[in-house]
Amino acid sequence: MINIENLTLGYDRHPAVHHLTARIETGSLTAIVGPNGAGKTTLLRGIAGDLPPLAGRITRAPGRIAWLPQQAALDRSFPIDVGSFVAMGLWNRIGAFKGLTRTDRARIDTAIAAVGLTGFDNRPISALSGGQMQRVLFARLLLQDAELILLDEPFTAIDARTTADLVALVRRWHGEGRTILAVLHDMDAVRDNFPQTLLIARERVAHGPTAQVLTAANLLRARAMSEAFDDTAPRCDRSVA
Amino acid sequence: MLKRRTLMGASAALALMFATGAQAQQPLKVVASFSILGDFVSQVGGDRIALTTLVGPDGDAHVYQPSPNDAKAVAGADLVVVNGLGFEGWLDRLIEASGYKSQVAVATTGITPRAFTEDDHDEEEGHQDHTAEEHDHGATDPHAWQSVPNARIYVANIARALGTADPAGAAIYAANAAAYTAELDAMDARIVAAIAALPRDRRTIVTSHDAFGYFAATYGMTFEAPQGLSTDAEASAKDVAELIQQIKSQKIGAVFVENITDPRLLQQIAAESGAKIGGTLYSDALSTADGPAATYLAMMRNNIAQLSAALTE
Amino acid sequence: MTALWHPFLDFAFMQRALLGCIAISLGATPVGVFLMLRRMSLTGDAMAHAILPGAAVGFLVSGLSIGAMTLGGIIAGLTVALLTGAVSRVTVLREDASLAAFYLISLALGVLLVSLKGSNVDLMHVLFGTVLALNDDALVLLCTITTVTLLTLALLWRPLVLECVDPQFLRSVSRWSLPAHLVFLALVVLNLVAGFQALGTLMAVGIMILPAAAARFWAQRLATMIAVAMTIAILSSGAGLLASYHFGLPSGPAIILAAGLFYFASLFFGPTGSLAARYLPRPHLQS
Repeated sequence: MINIENLTLGYDRHPAVHHLTARIETGSLTAIVGPNGAGKTTLLRGIAGDLPPLAGRITRAPGRIAWLPQQAALDRSFPIDVGSFVAMGLWNRIGAFKGLTRTDRARIDTAIAAVGLTGFDNRPISALSGGQMQRVLFARLLLQDAELILLDEPFTAIDARTTADLVALVRRWHGEGRTILAVLHDMDAVRDNFPQTLLIARERVAHGPTAQVLTAANLLRARAMSEAFDDTAPRCDRSVA
Repeated sequence: MLKRRTLMGASAALALMFATGAQAQQPLKVVASFSILGDFVSQVGGDRIALTTLVGPDGDAHVYQPSPNDAKAVAGADLVVVNGLGFEGWLDRLIEASGYKSQVAVATTGITPRAFTEDDHDEEEGHQDHTAEEHDHGATDPHAWQSVPNARIYVANIARALGTADPAGAAIYAANAAAYTAELDAMDARIVAAIAALPRDRRTIVTSHDAFGYFAATYGMTFEAPQGLSTDAEASAKDVAELIQQIKSQKIGAVFVENITDPRLLQQIAAESGAKIGGTLYSDALSTADGPAATYLAMMRNNIAQLSAALTE
Repeated sequence: MTALWHPFLDFAFMQRALLGCIAISLGATPVGVFLMLRRMSLTGDAMAHAILPGAAVGFLVSGLSIGAMTLGGIIAGLTVALLTGAVSRVTVLREDASLAAFYLISLALGVLLVSLKGSNVDLMHVLFGTVLALNDDALVLLCTITTVTLLTLALLWRPLVLECVDPQFLRSVSRWSLPAHLVFLALVVLNLVAGFQALGTLMAVGIMILPAAAARFWAQRLATMIAVAMTIAILSSGAGLLASYHFGLPSGPAIILAAGLFYFASLFFGPTGSLAARYLPRPHLQS
């Protein structure tokens, strides 16, 4: 369960997420949507603990978090093979120093198979296509075995078949009782797969069951909210949205 | 009345004497480029001069970087004394920058320069070609002071330069120079005798700095060096190997460390060839006042003592 | 064929030089491979400048003593490395600007301190160590640093690799990011200090980076890359020393130029990612 109270996140005093309050229930499968610059990635960063709040706070139930950032700061040209890369997902279990047991290796193989990349164990990640790389990242996520999973635009720029496979994986996680938050652009995918939606445009526009949130009125409101930073904005003294 | 006029005349003469005397009391400001030259200048100039030396004791004039204080000293000088023969590569620019317009006395005027030869292992970059005689710099050995007969010429040049800059003191300078030259002669004789006392086949040593060419030529010794002249040139394995071979085959007794360059290389060579490590020889600079080579004479005395000690088993 | 190797058999100083170079090759090249993969190749050069004043101060205090110069160099280098790492993590300034700022300050401080003492020749000694003058102390130092380096790399392998390939992920699962980075910078400093004893500060960076850069064209796997880099470094050392012996070339530059030749050969003809691979591709496989 994630409790977001009057949260303001931003860069250089300009808020990217402004006075947001929401409560994400444990085990929910929630899509985060909104126009460009709405603060969706920023919100995920805040929840992941990567960005300290400018105001307000986030409280989380304890547990492991797995976070798949948007354009991961990944060095695709690094000479590492798929197997070793996916194995990093076991960090929580093996830490920096412990070796990999046979069970661990089995787990790695299972994860690679679950994303449909059997046989790719020894291939260097530099030789993978975009879709294959995304699958590898999902495999690693699988191994992290986290209670809270944060996905930032996980299906952008990959083919339909890969998307379908990965969506199935997300559904499986949901079935296992994990809490999942995913930033998405494709409204159809949201409607098809995500029971809950949080619509934000810097501030909260709507939150709840997807059909109720993604109405024409709400989407219009979201689009209307301004995108650019206002350099001349005065100090904000609102207490709650 | 006669008495008063005499008295007035006498006082006038006295006052005039005092005036000229007072003017002469103001010391001549002389700048010498490095410590050895500075020693010569102070021996000849005595207390008629105020001496500033640019490259001090234990300093390396090859790679010296002048400071603003140096430029100030040169600008305010009455006379600048330099070695010449390409020793102070940085000096021309300093003089130009400081705006100094008076006399620059080149102490090596009249000395027969020697060129570096094959044996000197001149490793300086860009001058590997040993057959060329006249490069614009680098081919002539500037360390002329290492031969005492040359030092006499230095002293004479300096005395003349001081006399030109300060005619009132010319006689004093000449006298000082003569006295000092006598000491130089004594030192010269001493060196000759010391070397004569060494067996003929024991007159070769190894030292890391190739600044003893004039000494070797004048007094009949041979100095082998593992590195070339410049302190920032690097050794090659070939030279080191050849040197070790030579020491072994000629049974050279001693390897010397000089106060400017890297002694570790010498220690390696000594260890592998079985030669003894001699004391410190001073070549390009005097030592500090509490060291064994605080003046030129002390330096030469130290060097010949170390040489004799190492080569006489 | 023995004629080629005879200098190493005949002369103790050649043996020691080779031994010293082998030690450096084993220790510095893995560090260099990581530097190269993290796009920090120029960091080596900047670090060398940062170390120099520390070594110069050590020299001023105790003369040409290995202990003093090494200690001084290590202190200066570690200080700059730590400050750089910390500043680039905790503020908006990135690694490259942070390092540039600190090494320049360190260098200026060093030059100031040395010139206060009055003599410039001292810096020259520190710049140009020579591999032909490695005494027992120096050899012990080199071997110790290599051993420490290899052990540390083996221990920190996982966090280091992750730091290179996906630092965001590392930050999200552990707090190893900053310590691993700082320990790595410390290894860079140690190996540069080792290198400058043997080759001088200017060349020490060369033996760290050139073989690593050449190895890039030979291997797709990190472990293989490191092995290739070590091999190239050792071969360059041998070749450079022999060239110094037979042709009278200064030893440090000869070794680095030999490594440079390996680099060019790899650049043109290496099996992977080279010019040959690009313009003269081999026939493709069935699948």
